[in-house]
Amino acid sequence: MEPLSDTLWDVVICGTGLQQSLLALALSRSGKKILHIDPNEFYGGAEAALSLQEAEQWVGRISSGTGGGLFRAAAVSRSEDDTRLSPSRAYSLALAPTVIHARSALLSQLVSSRAYRQVEFLAVGAFYIFKPPQDPAQKPTLARIPSTREEVFSTTAVATKSKRLLMKFLKFVLDYEASPQRELWQPHADAPLTDLLRQEFKMDAELQTYILTLTLSLDDRISTRDGLAVIHRHLSSMGVYGPGFAALYPKWGGLSEIAQVSCRAGAVGGAVYMLATGIKETESTDDGVKLLLTSGDSVKARMLVRADDSPNHNQLSIRRLVAVVDSPLSSLFEAAVEGAPKPAVAVIAFPVGSVEEASGTESQRPIYLSAHSSDTGECPAGQTDALDLALQAFLRAVPEDRVPKVLFKLQYDQLDGGSESLGSHGPVFTFPTRSSPLSFDDSVLEPVREVWKKMMGDAAVEAEYMVFEDREGAVDDDDVY
Amino acid sequence: MADQGGSQHGIARTSRVRSEEQKQRDLQRIQKYRELEDQVRSHVSRADYSPQLFQLTSKLLRLNPEYYTLWNVRRRCLISGLFSRPSAGSSCSTACSSTFPTATTTQSSTSCSSSSSATTPPAPGSPTAGRSGTTAEPGAAGAPSGTFASDDPAQAPAADSTDSATAAAAAAAAEQQDLATIQSELSFTIPLLLESPKCYWIWSYRQWILAQAIARLRPHVARQVWEAELGLASKMLGKDRRNFHAWGYRRHVVTQLESAALRGASMVEAEFEYTYRMIQTDLSNFSAWHSRSKLIPRLLDERGADDAARRAFLDKELNQIREALNVGPEDQSLWYYHQFLMLNLVDPDKHPAMTRGIAAGDRAAYLAREIDEIKELLEDYPDVKLIYEALFEYTLYLCQLEDRQPTADERADLAAWLAKLKELDPMRNGRWADLERECGL
Repeated sequence: MEPLSDTLWDVVICGTGLQQSLLALALSRSGKKILHIDPNEFYGGAEAALSLQEAEQWVGRISSGTGGGLFRAAAVSRSEDDTRLSPSRAYSLALAPTVIHARSALLSQLVSSRAYRQVEFLAVGAFYIFKPPQDPAQKPTLARIPSTREEVFSTTAVATKSKRLLMKFLKFVLDYEASPQRELWQPHADAPLTDLLRQEFKMDAELQTYILTLTLSLDDRISTRDGLAVIHRHLSSMGVYGPGFAALYPKWGGLSEIAQVSCRAGAVGGAVYMLATGIKETESTDDGVKLLLTSGDSVKARMLVRADDSPNHNQLSIRRLVAVVDSPLSSLFEAAVEGAPKPAVAVIAFPVGSVEEASGTESQRPIYLSAHSSDTGECPAGQTDALDLALQAFLRAVPEDRVPKVLFKLQYDQLDGGSESLGSHGPVFTFPTRSSPLSFDDSVLEPVREVWKKMMGDAAVEAEYMVFEDREGAVDDDDVY
Repeated sequence: MADQGGSQHGIARTSRVRSEEQKQRDLQRIQKYRELEDQVRSHVSRADYSPQLFQLTSKLLRLNPEYYTLWNVRRRCLISGLFSRPSAGSSCSTACSSTFPTATTTQSSTSCSSSSSATTPPAPGSPTAGRSGTTAEPGAAGAPSGTFASDDPAQAPAADSTDSATAAAAAAAAEQQDLATIQSELSFTIPLLLESPKCYWIWSYRQWILAQAIARLRPHVARQVWEAELGLASKMLGKDRRNFHAWGYRRHVVTQLESAALRGASMVEAEFEYTYRMIQTDLSNFSAWHSRSKLIPRLLDERGADDAARRAFLDKELNQIREALNVGPEDQSLWYYHQFLMLNLVDPDKHPAMTRGIAAGDRAAYLAREIDEIKELLEDYPDVKLIYEALFEYTLYLCQLEDRQPTADERADLAAWLAKLKELDPMRNGRWADLERECGL
């Protein structure tokens, strides 16, 4: 192999976060000369899944101030009783636990590009809502949120009349972009969704909370326009890949797995990969850029693609907690209906006010907990990883014989990158970075497509973006003859 | 890929524009098909139900499972040789000496062929099968024409048919062979069923094979085969919840599993529970509700339910269907079930299971209550025509039950509902006009 500096690379991609990795996938059949590097020793960037040791090292780096990027205030702790923790490599804790709805464009792209064959998808089960106890002496409970007709039928948590209102709303949302539904919500488009629910659908506070939870939004003042779009996607995703579930979760670390599969496709297509390598200096040239890498190599490329890792304001985007608990929490992972697959992820929502914080005040923002069973491959059997500030409340609410204990905790804050859209300065493209919401947001995919178009130039055929044939030997021929 | 001949049960046959290449490929396929067919006909005309013919039917049936004659040919191949003995009701559990009705003929064929048979017979369905050296006796069409030397040739049962130990071993080995054949045949039909789940002939063949299981295997062995079949029925229903063939088939399998032939016990509770699980998955399932309705009489009888228990049961069913209608009033399958419950009340002689102990006055009260509950639905579902139809019908039922004409208020209601029906379903104006006339509105 010729030395890196001898080649004029078509592109250097810095970072193996989801967007950069998807770009590598998109270019994997283009024959372009691609050098794909990542300053970390692991794939996935902000969407990586870390072993216990990797998590501890990652926290160390952020705390020492050398390259935390968008992460702040990271801390990690093991329980004193950590003899019950399995070896570090038995864990793959996702930094950006994101469920992918069936109707997501990401899935379509994974299918058309054939990359889906490398990914094992698991079902995401019911969405629950955390209910603080009426009586402080009692346990809090978890109630399933109904989002299909059958779920509304089965639930005992909603009164008969309210069920009818719920059904009306569900039907409305399924067809919300057509008339006459459109005329009903358009006037409220930018107002909070809860206004519409109260005024037009006569829903009480409890019912409004259920609907808000379906948006999986961290903003309880989410607008009508945005809220309806997200709920519509959830409802139309129900049952697409099997009865009883609307979203998928890739095994072995969620988005991290998709990033890895995409990079693998890039490598098969001829891209060169280097981990533990970052960019020290950047210089403009006639052809594009000249980069001095931390490995000491000096490389020339026509284009550079990276992600925005410098926030220009200190506004917190999201705070996360990852915890490993010593119980399989089996009650959360039961198949919902006949013929449904056993879910591996369950989502529990804590609406505003449902958690009493240390200071005695009630929580001001919605909190979401996603529980991943050992089926995700992210932790050994008999354990689950759950994310939440209200973790303890959740552990009390879960129907188990005893309150599960936390064995390992990783906590961090994540900021959004400064720019809102794809940055493009000459030959350098910068992906805007947003912390990944609980449900995958397809808008993340757009900048990837834009960069691909720029790279392919005249050869770009829109209809062929992320559309590939299987490589030879990729599929077993099940021939009848 | 199977090219399918006859009717398609909803699998689209599009007339595509074919390129020359595709046309040539299609002509080749047709040629190959015709060749296979000719070979089959040739064997059949000679009554040569040999393993070779058996293989041919495998190939051809994969191409066209609707070709029912081939399934019959296959059956004949099995009877003629691949099964261990004629299925003339002979039971394997009795001593074998009595189960070789054509003992002399089998002796000769056994000794002819024993030299080349292996100790373990190869699976009949596999492509490499060809039971070396053993063929069905030619010219014996219609008569069970000999057995395979499924047992150790050294044992030569012909030599000592009164030795019960040898005979028992022979019977066990024969049963093993039959079981293997049966399972192989069931496996053979699976990929065909996945492609053509509504093809009658495949199901019919499966049923025949399963019947062979009862005829040829000991009850507990046969039972295992049938229990696996119930698993298959459930799986098929998982894939297509409303496939009424699958529902009917399930009922058939359950009946057999409950029968004495398979040492069975009643499964009515489990099946009742199953209908509920299917409904939970999808409320709109005519077959599930129908099945439920059919199970109720037996269920209540088996529970030894008295009148009070039966009434409680009815209450529970009514509450449940009302909950369902509350979220799905546009669904006809729900209304059908509700109507079934109403008919139980209106016509208890015909449907006594739940309502036999309920006095006439109470039954009218039930109906009146239902009418009120349904009227509540109109609050939130003002434009669902099935609600109005139900209200109309039930009001007439109530009058029938109380042996009277509609009151003035009721007549006003009926007229209003009919007006709504005309508005919501103008295509059936003829029907609404008829109703109007009949009721003198």
